[in-house]
Amino acid sequence: MLLKLLFAKEEDIPPGSATIFFGYSAIFWFVVGTGLGSFNAAKLAFPDFVTGTEMFAFGHMRQVHVLAVILGWISMAFAMTMMYMTPALGNTKLWSEKLGLWNCFLWNIGLSLGLFLLWIGITSGREYSDLIWPIDLVVLVAVLLPLGINVWMTIAHRRTQGIYITNWFFGACTFMVMVTFVVGQAPELFNLTGLTEGYLTFWFAHNVLGLWITPVAAAIAYYTIPKLTGNPLYSHRIGHLHFWAIIAFYSTPASHHLLSAPLPEWLKSFASVEGVLILIPAVAFVANILLTMKGRWSMFVENIEIKFSVTGVLLAIPLNMQGGFQQTRAINWYVHGTGWIVAHAHLALLGMSTALEIAAVYFGLQQMLRRKLYSLALANFHYWFYIVGFCIYWISMTIAGLIQGAGKVYEVPYIDVVVAEHPYMIARWVGGTMVFTGNLVWLYNMWMTAREGTVLPKGRYSHELAYER
Amino acid sequence: MGWKFDKPLHEMASEEESTAMLRQWESEKHGGLWEGNNRLPLPFTYLIALIVLTAFMITMPIWGQRPNAEHYAPMVNEMDSAAVQNLATDEEKMKYLTAFAMKELATASDPRGPGLLERHPITWDDLQNIAPGIREAQTSQKYPLAFYNIVGDKIALANFEGNRTVNGDFFGEPTNAPARVQPWFDKGMIIDLFYVSYFFIVLILITKRLPSFTRKPDMSKTS
Repeated sequence: MLLKLLFAKEEDIPPGSATIFFGYSAIFWFVVGTGLGSFNAAKLAFPDFVTGTEMFAFGHMRQVHVLAVILGWISMAFAMTMMYMTPALGNTKLWSEKLGLWNCFLWNIGLSLGLFLLWIGITSGREYSDLIWPIDLVVLVAVLLPLGINVWMTIAHRRTQGIYITNWFFGACTFMVMVTFVVGQAPELFNLTGLTEGYLTFWFAHNVLGLWITPVAAAIAYYTIPKLTGNPLYSHRIGHLHFWAIIAFYSTPASHHLLSAPLPEWLKSFASVEGVLILIPAVAFVANILLTMKGRWSMFVENIEIKFSVTGVLLAIPLNMQGGFQQTRAINWYVHGTGWIVAHAHLALLGMSTALEIAAVYFGLQQMLRRKLYSLALANFHYWFYIVGFCIYWISMTIAGLIQGAGKVYEVPYIDVVVAEHPYMIARWVGGTMVFTGNLVWLYNMWMTAREGTVLPKGRYSHELAYER
Repeated sequence: MGWKFDKPLHEMASEEESTAMLRQWESEKHGGLWEGNNRLPLPFTYLIALIVLTAFMITMPIWGQRPNAEHYAPMVNEMDSAAVQNLATDEEKMKYLTAFAMKELATASDPRGPGLLERHPITWDDLQNIAPGIREAQTSQKYPLAFYNIVGDKIALANFEGNRTVNGDFFGEPTNAPARVQPWFDKGMIIDLFYVSYFFIVLILITKRLPSFTRKPDMSKTS
């Protein structure tokens, strides 16, 4: 089906095709990514689990999990939402469905190749920038650039005078992630080493989160919440505060990841202040969305997309409270290099960002398939397995991190810390496996939606119709 | 682009522009969505002020400061004395020297010296390693001792270039050389103050160019 559409004329490609293929690809990679996460967590909980094969060692599998989730699930879910939200918000159609389909096709091929190479141990050896430079070029040319072009051209061809806030973020973030990616991969492309390599590696790691993963997720909420509740967005002007604060304060604090490195002190202090100021866009975003919910809080219980969206927005509160303060010297010396940071990273990616994306994928696929969700019961199963599993993971790793921090500060023998952490490693595996199980159910639910979901009457939205199962 | 400055914290766009923007919000739907023109509720405005204040207060460079060669110089000057050499163990020597240096620094104009020495203890072996470097710096008088960083057993000229020094300052040589120390309160704080100030100035300009929050678009007109 995809191959047939790839070579079809633009006018013969049904609108929404790119959205649908990106949507199912994203869910597929989410299943793969969380499956790998569950496998890796099992290796930490049960050290004798799958030993003797180098390719299944934690050192090989960890990067595959991380990049499958970031480039596979999260970024493809973003692409999926951009494919349907950007044109909808401009009262127009996607600039090129064909470019979108090729983008999706090459993305899947490139990512599969990159992850395979990581799996067999061919890596740049730099955290979060693990892919080797030829794959980096594929990501730039076949993944990010076509996505950006499609988004920018769709915005340029809009039929509205103004640009809605979601599209500010989409347009800006697709540009900023490219700059972030190119600069972040510079150490490998230009053979930079030492402190420069360390700084640029974490400049990328920080900015890919701050200028891509969290702001695009927030942009999605600016669409889904008003769309599903029927309320106007609470405030256009608070949107300005959010957007410009992200640009000013999230692009600058990269060196707070390297407070113990011999970087200039002024740069680290500057970054640390900016790190706390990340709370400003967070306050603006959370306030704007929660105030938009006014009078429609019953939907938090009744509507699956709102349930996920509001969960994501609520998780942004602890996310930014943690993020703002854990990077200050006073707290960082205790939690740096511990499981606390792992918990925080999952709060950002698996918590806030993922919850908002799941909602958008649920909504977008139903609209583009023109079919009502197959089963609300399965969707609720998905929600509860996701949120309970995530909370188990987050809380257990936070506690494990505090134990590690105490062990580090009080110079407790390492093996004693490992023993103390064991119960929390098991809890981590249980939580992660629950999320994985929920995703399997989600994949089935969406597959069945495509096959047997009730057809939406013309001009109606999926959330306007009652569930039949 | 018309401006008005009679009430700059209320609205800076001209009446025509503000009215045109309101009309556009009322008439234009983005994929079925429209936007309100509400202000950030006051408690959240205060919260943002609190965040800015907290950001500077919590990152003040109370933490992460390290002693420099000036702080260890009293130890180096005293380490070969009979009082130290007669002590039996390295630990006793360092205990004596640390107390000695803290006493010496207690009367200095910068009160942080004793605390820094207490939080960054060094071993007798480390002191022996840094002693030649500190003595050389004292003899050459090329730079003040405060310009030299001490990390573990290493001494190095601080990797920082601040304002140019004035002739006669810092022993007079070399003239016009950049200072390699920062005021204790400024480890990136001043530049940040400018950055944050510019952000809020630009943000105020942007938001005050919008129709005042007291003017609500009439959404019943939206098609």
